Amino acid sequence: MVARDARTTVVTGAGSGIGRATAVRLARRGDAVCACDLSEAGLKETAALIRSEGGVVLTGILDVRDQAQVRAWIAEIIGQFGKIDCLFSNAGVNARSTVADMTLAQWSLLIDTHVTGTFNFCQAVLRGMLERRSGSIVITSSDFAIVGVPNAANYCAAKTALYSLTKSLALEFASYGIRVNAIGPGPIDTPLLRAGRTPEEFANARAGFESRLPIKRLGRPEEVAAVVDFLLSESAGFITGQLLQPNGGQVMW
Amino acid sequence: MAEASEHKGRVAVITGGSGAIGGAIAERLKNAGAVVHVLDVQPSSLPGIRFHRADAGNEPAVDAAFDAIGNSDPRIDYLVCCAGIYRPVPFLDLPLGQWQETLQTNLTGYFLCCRAALRFMRPQKFGRIVMFSSMIARTGAADAADYAASKGGVLGLARSLAVESAAENIRVNTVSPTITDTPMPRAVLTDEEMESRKTRIPLGRIGAVDDMAEACMFLLSDDSSYVLGQDLRVNGGSTLW
Repeated sequence: MVARDARTTVVTGAGSGIGRATAVRLARRGDAVCACDLSEAGLKETAALIRSEGGVVLTGILDVRDQAQVRAWIAEIIGQFGKIDCLFSNAGVNARSTVADMTLAQWSLLIDTHVTGTFNFCQAVLRGMLERRSGSIVITSSDFAIVGVPNAANYCAAKTALYSLTKSLALEFASYGIRVNAIGPGPIDTPLLRAGRTPEEFANARAGFESRLPIKRLGRPEEVAAVVDFLLSESAGFITGQLLQPNGGQVMW
Repeated sequence: MAEASEHKGRVAVITGGSGAIGGAIAERLKNAGAVVHVLDVQPSSLPGIRFHRADAGNEPAVDAAFDAIGNSDPRIDYLVCCAGIYRPVPFLDLPLGQWQETLQTNLTGYFLCCRAALRFMRPQKFGRIVMFSSMIARTGAADAADYAASKGGVLGLARSLAVESAAENIRVNTVSPTITDTPMPRAVLTDEEMESRKTRIPLGRIGAVDDMAEACMFLLSDDSSYVLGQDLRVNGGSTLW
């Protein structure tokens, strides 16, 4: 059962990692969670976790790059819950390469998934938020919106674009009472961090992070979910257009 | 948000805790079950608070206050630095004495209180420090060179301390408010001037004491366990960097 005053919250990339942890946390606080992902298997696990705790979840298997799919799913949510209060635009993917060898497909996959996917979702949910003059959006950017890193020009460009998009949306919709913020996670122990690395490569990468990070450990998805929860909530009612970085001290600026 | 009970039994020290923002944080922590010590030159009107009269910029006074806290409580879990002064003066009229006083209270005072609190936090391998900076640290402001310099210094102090203390389970972060409805700006601005500041803030209002207190409570809580060395800018969208 959804409480009468419960929020309806959309979470993209909810099939694993930060998206899953956030979907579970927000369901626990009483939100009706609308969770989507490209991966059906991962999304099923997330939904099962939420339902096992008595939470309410609606799932959507879709590609965030596909505007028609996004709009159709948002319409389905409005049909079922009547409104959308919050959006956590988080779906992401990685494809590491040097720029010299990067294919256009590797470049476009990241730009289209992160940036265009977030544009699609923001545009789709903002129509209703504007009418209700209320809403809160959090977008997953990255520490790499502030600093660069080798072999990830596509990822850095996408994440920096998301920070810029956050600021533009915040200014464009502040007068409607809609807040838009970004998070800049540092290295978080998620499937995305492990993707494209052998177990040995991941162990080396992890050791490197742990020695460089002031906090000397990787972050947990639940630690990022707590930051998203704060930014979406009324406790952050005077915070908009900002980048908040749960990053173990990796980047301070 | 995390359950209020996480603060139960924790010992907090709040400098400038008799002021509007510091007082709101003291009240929240007290209501959540924490033991709250306030350091201030003005007495605290909050019931149940342990008040220590001390100028945060005075080394013997700060050390004596922390010694007194140590005599009643064996640990200090949280330090919130809010003690500050703001007296707008055009740059060429700014006396060296005021420049030094502002830096002494707003920056050296933070250093002294952090040093005293860390003597507790380091051995116990636990601590959370929140320092109040200001958006003026980034943007600057007319007639506020001393204040801007002191608040910029706070950002550098906080980041350095964050790096140095993270491995000991001590998290250090800052909150940077924009203009907030407290006696401090109201002492130097007319009601009309306060009102006109709203037009410069995208969310259409000036900051409320609660906005700043909530940001501080988030940074003290387990919800920010992977957040350190960060500056939480609570400004209604008025500055986006």
